Amino acid sequence: MIQAVDLVKSFSGVRRVDGVSLDIKQGEIFGLLGPNAAGKTTVIRMLCGIMQADSGSVSINNTSIEKAKREFGYVAQYFGQYGELSVWENLHFYAEMYGIDDEEHLEGLLKRYQLEQFRDVDAGALSGGYKRRLALVCALAHDPKVLFLDEPTAGIDPVTRKLLWDDFYALSAEGKTLFVTTHYMEEASRCHQLAFIAEGKMIAQGTPKSIKDALGDVVVYTYKQNYSPEVTKAIQGVDGVILTNQFGDDLHIVTEQGLRQASLEGVISGVTREPVALHITDPDLEDVFIALTQGDVS
Amino acid sequence: MIMAIVKKELLQLRRDPRLMGLIIVMPLVLMILFAVALKLEPNNVKMAYLDEDQSFFSNLIKTGLWSDGYFQMYEVPSREAIIEEIRSGRAQSGMYIAKDFSALLTENKQPHVQLYVDGTMPSLTTAMKYNSSAATDAEVTNDMYFLDEDAPNTVIAEDPFIMDTEILFNPDEKETWFFLPGVIGVLIMQIALILTGITIVREREQHTLEQLFVTPISKASFIIGKLLPYVVITLIDFYVILGVGWLFFDLPQPSSHFLLFALASIYVAVMISLGLLISLISQTQQQAMFVAIFIIVPSILLSGFIFPIEAIPSSVRVISYLLPFTYFVEIIRGLLVKKTLLVDLLYAYGALLAFVVVFVAGSILKFKRTL
Repeated sequence: MIQAVDLVKSFSGVRRVDGVSLDIKQGEIFGLLGPNAAGKTTVIRMLCGIMQADSGSVSINNTSIEKAKREFGYVAQYFGQYGELSVWENLHFYAEMYGIDDEEHLEGLLKRYQLEQFRDVDAGALSGGYKRRLALVCALAHDPKVLFLDEPTAGIDPVTRKLLWDDFYALSAEGKTLFVTTHYMEEASRCHQLAFIAEGKMIAQGTPKSIKDALGDVVVYTYKQNYSPEVTKAIQGVDGVILTNQFGDDLHIVTEQGLRQASLEGVISGVTREPVALHITDPDLEDVFIALTQGDVS
Repeated sequence: MIMAIVKKELLQLRRDPRLMGLIIVMPLVLMILFAVALKLEPNNVKMAYLDEDQSFFSNLIKTGLWSDGYFQMYEVPSREAIIEEIRSGRAQSGMYIAKDFSALLTENKQPHVQLYVDGTMPSLTTAMKYNSSAATDAEVTNDMYFLDEDAPNTVIAEDPFIMDTEILFNPDEKETWFFLPGVIGVLIMQIALILTGITIVREREQHTLEQLFVTPISKASFIIGKLLPYVVITLIDFYVILGVGWLFFDLPQPSSHFLLFALASIYVAVMISLGLLISLISQTQQQAMFVAIFIIVPSILLSGFIFPIEAIPSSVRVISYLLPFTYFVEIIRGLLVKKTLLVDLLYAYGALLAFVVVFVAGSILKFKRTL
């Protein structure tokens, strides 16, 4: 459905996107995951044709992006609707940009995203969550086959985020292809396909499970303890520890297969002066993400 | 705390090199420009003359004026032609010496020399009165006193001849006639440049442009759609301002309403397309405003609106001719006050149209549908 081949983009001589290739199937929710400044927004802008790649090509359904403008919708990272226009006026404007004048369809969209109550409210006066919904509704006005969503849930409360994700699944079930950039792990794990990008380079691509597997032969231990810098430092000094990652009261310790659990427990109790019991757990996507961006796994 | 804000503002300014450039370069350029260019007194004033007398005495007058260096004189075939030259803008002044000049002079009958001056140009009239005195200097008039041998006791007039000055087109020297026509252009320039100057850069700043660029709208549709409302609004403004001038300030009616409408439309198109170009080359609304001011201020001062173009040194006058407002002033004075014929204004209309073409072409080249 969407194909990108070897996209390269530099700004002021610095390569921000370096040879990114993607192949996205119809109906997929494809997540582009990466830390801040990894090049996610640049990639999505090049996919939408609003930023010219230095080299490489993009096509949707084997058609150049310029000719495929009617096939996709785009929700930018920032609120890009007109604050002085009402919700309805914004929606109507974007529909008209595509020559759509089907009021029933547009009313249906407002209803689907619970925006009817704000129909005549200025878009600028909406809360963050409703602004996102309006942006999505405007992108859906012409019923596109593909949706590009640049961090669609950034700064959104969990309830709205869940609603939006439920809707993304619904859209995907309707046959639409969704391309989502995010740095939320929990969102990434909801995608059908994932690509990891760091410093402009693609470092992993596949299903969330296959990406977790990319960590390879590792063991992940959980240590139930409040954050303690001394413990973390001691663990990081142990040969065979790949990384540590704190999750609330849990510390994930990713280690190579050969490291013995007892010796790790010994190092920790050496600091805490208490008996320590580690539990083996499944690697979290975030563990993989951090390991990948740190370059510990190739 | 105040210092923290001051520091932050200065840091922000420093991070906008374009704006910093404008803040430093603009006043410098304008200061130097105005210091060189702005003089109240015109020189090289073009004078169309007809000397029907062609005598030693009439030559003395012409030489007197010529040697002063103030007038650039050229001869025309008839008295009517003098006025037409001034009406068309080719000359700013004129002089007519009648056939019987030397005959009357030798008879001590104080012949008249007729001077004409374009009354639509501020300060020209006063300057003209002052500078034409070169023709009545003692050097010129010394040889013009004659004694009548038959009547040796006749009292000879103090001046051998009389200079009459006729102020053309604006005989009462109404200041509103000098300035009001141009004021309309200044107001329209301000409205148009500032309205359109920020129109695209604002969409860029507010991220709405990014959202628009993904839609299938073509470059041309986008630009036309963006500009059309402003063209209409500014055109309405033009006539509102003009109407106020007609109703309350005794502004004269134009020689042709059609030509006035043509001027309004073309001038509005020039200013709107220039505003668009400004919006496209600016990265922030602040920069756009600065560039607009950078155009508005010299337009007011170098266009002939306040100071006669003839007073501007020729090296700087090039800038006058690069300002659309210069042509607007010329046409609007021609239509409202001087009743100039279309044929003599065609070049100015042509110049305005050329500006539209250049600004629109520049905008199309500059406008990219990518970020």
